[in-house]
Amino acid sequence: MASNKSKILCVDDEPNIVRSLQWLLQREFEVHTASSGQDALALVNQHDFDVVISDQRMPVMTGVEVLREVKRLSPRTMRILLTGYSDMQAIVKSVNDSEVFRFINKPWNIGELPKVVAQAAEIARSRPAESGEEVTEEMPIVANGGCILVIDDDPAMAQAVSEVVGEAAKVSYTQNLADAVDILNKESVSVIVAETRVGSIDATRLVRLMKSRHPQIVTVMLTDDGDADTVTALINQGQIYRFVPKPVRAGYLKLVINSALRKHSSLSLEPGLSGRHTVEATAPGTLDSLMIDVQHAAMQYEARNQARRTGFMAAFGAGFRRLFGV
Amino acid sequence: MRFRLVRHFTLASLGMFCLVALTLIYFEQQQAAILRQVQDQQGSFFNDVQQTFAKRQDESARRDLLAIHESGNVNLARLFANALWTKDFAPFVAQARTIDAEQCRNLPDVGNGGSMSTTAPKKACFAKIGQRIMALPGFRELDAKVYESMRKSTVFKIKVFDLRGITVYSSEHAQIGEDKSSNAGWRSAALDGTPKSELTHRDTFSAFEGKVENRDLISSYLPVLEPGSSRVVGVFEVYSDVTPFLNRIEQTSSEIQLAAEVNQRKVAEAALENQAKVDATSDRKLGAVALLLALLFAGLLLIVRRAEKIIGRQEKEREHSHQQLAQSEKMASLGQMVAGVAHQLNTPLAFSQNNVLMVREALGGMDLPMKVAARMSMILKDVEGDKVTLKVSQLKANLDKLEGGAVDIAMLQEMLGDVLDGIGQMSEMVVNLRDFTRLDRAAVAHADLNKSLHTVAYIAKSVIPKSIELVEEYGDLPAIECNPSQLNQVFLNLINNAAQAINGAGRITVRTMTAGSKARIEVEDTGRGIPEDALPHIFELYFTTKPAGEGTGLGLAIAKDIVAQHGGEIKVTTRAGGGTTFIVTLPVAQQPLVKAA
Repeated sequence: MASNKSKILCVDDEPNIVRSLQWLLQREFEVHTASSGQDALALVNQHDFDVVISDQRMPVMTGVEVLREVKRLSPRTMRILLTGYSDMQAIVKSVNDSEVFRFINKPWNIGELPKVVAQAAEIARSRPAESGEEVTEEMPIVANGGCILVIDDDPAMAQAVSEVVGEAAKVSYTQNLADAVDILNKESVSVIVAETRVGSIDATRLVRLMKSRHPQIVTVMLTDDGDADTVTALINQGQIYRFVPKPVRAGYLKLVINSALRKHSSLSLEPGLSGRHTVEATAPGTLDSLMIDVQHAAMQYEARNQARRTGFMAAFGAGFRRLFGV
Repeated sequence: MRFRLVRHFTLASLGMFCLVALTLIYFEQQQAAILRQVQDQQGSFFNDVQQTFAKRQDESARRDLLAIHESGNVNLARLFANALWTKDFAPFVAQARTIDAEQCRNLPDVGNGGSMSTTAPKKACFAKIGQRIMALPGFRELDAKVYESMRKSTVFKIKVFDLRGITVYSSEHAQIGEDKSSNAGWRSAALDGTPKSELTHRDTFSAFEGKVENRDLISSYLPVLEPGSSRVVGVFEVYSDVTPFLNRIEQTSSEIQLAAEVNQRKVAEAALENQAKVDATSDRKLGAVALLLALLFAGLLLIVRRAEKIIGRQEKEREHSHQQLAQSEKMASLGQMVAGVAHQLNTPLAFSQNNVLMVREALGGMDLPMKVAARMSMILKDVEGDKVTLKVSQLKANLDKLEGGAVDIAMLQEMLGDVLDGIGQMSEMVVNLRDFTRLDRAAVAHADLNKSLHTVAYIAKSVIPKSIELVEEYGDLPAIECNPSQLNQVFLNLINNAAQAINGAGRITVRTMTAGSKARIEVEDTGRGIPEDALPHIFELYFTTKPAGEGTGLGLAIAKDIVAQHGGEIKVTTRAGGGTTFIVTLPVAQQPLVKAA
């Protein structure tokens, strides 16, 4: 019986917290605890954990550092970051370095946390582990015919992406979410590079919804927005692959695009893998509000560009429904 | 002394203007003096010229008079000689020559050196000769002829000398017989044949027609030439009256003198007038300059006053924006603190909430088992003997609910114990927050700085990264009269700065000690140190090494202000890569606090 339970590890320097987590989770899981990053890594080396839950604010090693090491030592282990205070730097690192499954704020919801842990444990057990391969700047870009969609108000971003990709992949660029929907319908998009806001519209909704419907598409946020809640939602509901604050170095952008393309091809090759990036449900009505906003923006855009063919709105509506399956 | 623009400007410019005015007046006066001097010189020169001219004119008139009369006398003598000499005088002179004059001439003269005077006996001797001449026959006839021919002319006297120098005839009979051989005029005429004239003034003079008074006379010694030859045979002396001419000359001279004086007066008047004009012009000039200076001053004063007003307004605006910045800096550090505190509170909150909810759930599961147990106890109370019959069918149906009663009560107690622990942590935080802000207490108090520092350290621990160890080493400190809330702000700022200087792991040590009459508080870190080029500026307003938008550059400036208001000092020692120590020294015997701006 005990051996069937998923093995989870809770890390926090505050003993009361680990005790609480243990009490909360011990009924369903085999809970191990550690009061520091070093202790946690030692345990990871001894046991095969399904899930590691770590607090961010700890002496010596931060939670992000612990989870990054866990990812390296045990790629199949799902990682959850627990934090009392949304420190933007920590959140960005949790995406880029630790590739966390969820980002959970203290105090946690005692009804939800066991479910999230159970989901993570289930994924860890059922889905194949991702390769821990490190992508380096020297490695060639492999696109497998996929296309990169850049959604940004600033054409310089598309320019920058085109420059780092070169001939290896096609780059489509738009400043308009309606066009983005069109492109997503028509072309096989591997990677979306998006800003959080396009025009006046919150583009993160598109990103989040896309991941829930099309988990093999890899999303990179390239943004100068620094709102912790936005990024938290992008992690939990959009499983974004990378969060890159602007301005970005060309070398780093190349590295990010390259690994995103590789990520996409591995997700395509083995569809089971994308289960590791299962997202939290978006708030109800998100899809409708996104559709209304995009239509509204598209109409304004159309009014400015008379040359656009008639019947575009009808085509857009159909495309939107097809894309999101409504 | 505070710099006051308008006052300083007024004093300086008025002083300057006075100096300019004084300089101008001085030079004007100097110029007027020079003008006066030039005019005086011109006047006296003009005077000299006129005087010289008048004198020359007078002299030349007299000379001309003399020359004209001499030549007139020469002609007269010729006429006289032609008329009287051959017929009348020549025989008479020849007679007179027979009278010996040598014995009289041999009589000694008296006197010494050049000035010789004839003695009375000598004079008497010559007078006797005159008697003898007058006694000669023909004298009366001759005398009458001479008198007749000379009457009604300007000639007052005629004398005739023989070549010995003896007066053989004189219209003044008393002079006949006198020796004139040593007379310069006679010698010139007799020996050189040259006439000689002389202008003399006589108060009384015996003329042909009796005595005359106050007369200007020209006496001419004239050689008498033998008719038809140039041989001098005798000497005439003719006295002619020039008084009317001389009077006319003198009158002309005096007229010239008068004209000169009038001219002189005119020149002087013109000079005075010019002087007055120049003075008036100079006064006008000074007036105009004074007016212009006054205008300039007024204009500048207007500008300066406006400038002062603008500067004052800018000063106020700067003060205002500085206050706003200080306020926003305070808000920013407060915000950072609140975020840290919120995180710190989140931890006990999280586990307390978790535990309470779990206990509540567990208690919910214990509802039925507890009822069953209570019922059992009531049944057991009524039962006598040791056997009870239970209907288990109902109980079996609720067996899953009864299993919930198998909770570990000790575990629940432990959970609640943790909750109490959490509440303790939270209330400790609240107490510290209250101690930190001291909003419910007087701003100025007699405070124990060690306690204050401990509060600050407690708060700071929740803000700074956990990889940084915060060590408190407190020595004995007397209570200090201070504004603890402000000092707390300073210490929190210093600890935050220290934390920001540390990358990754490190240590901050907060130390207190008494040094003489001062309390010394040190905040030492193991961070990267302050770069040499930044060190002199760290306490300056708006100086920051953080990127724009992250640091206001006010933290340390405000800290320095606050410490200064407490009469203390803030210093820093740093070593690149070796950490930094900020040292705050506060006087133990506190003077009244400087009111915070």
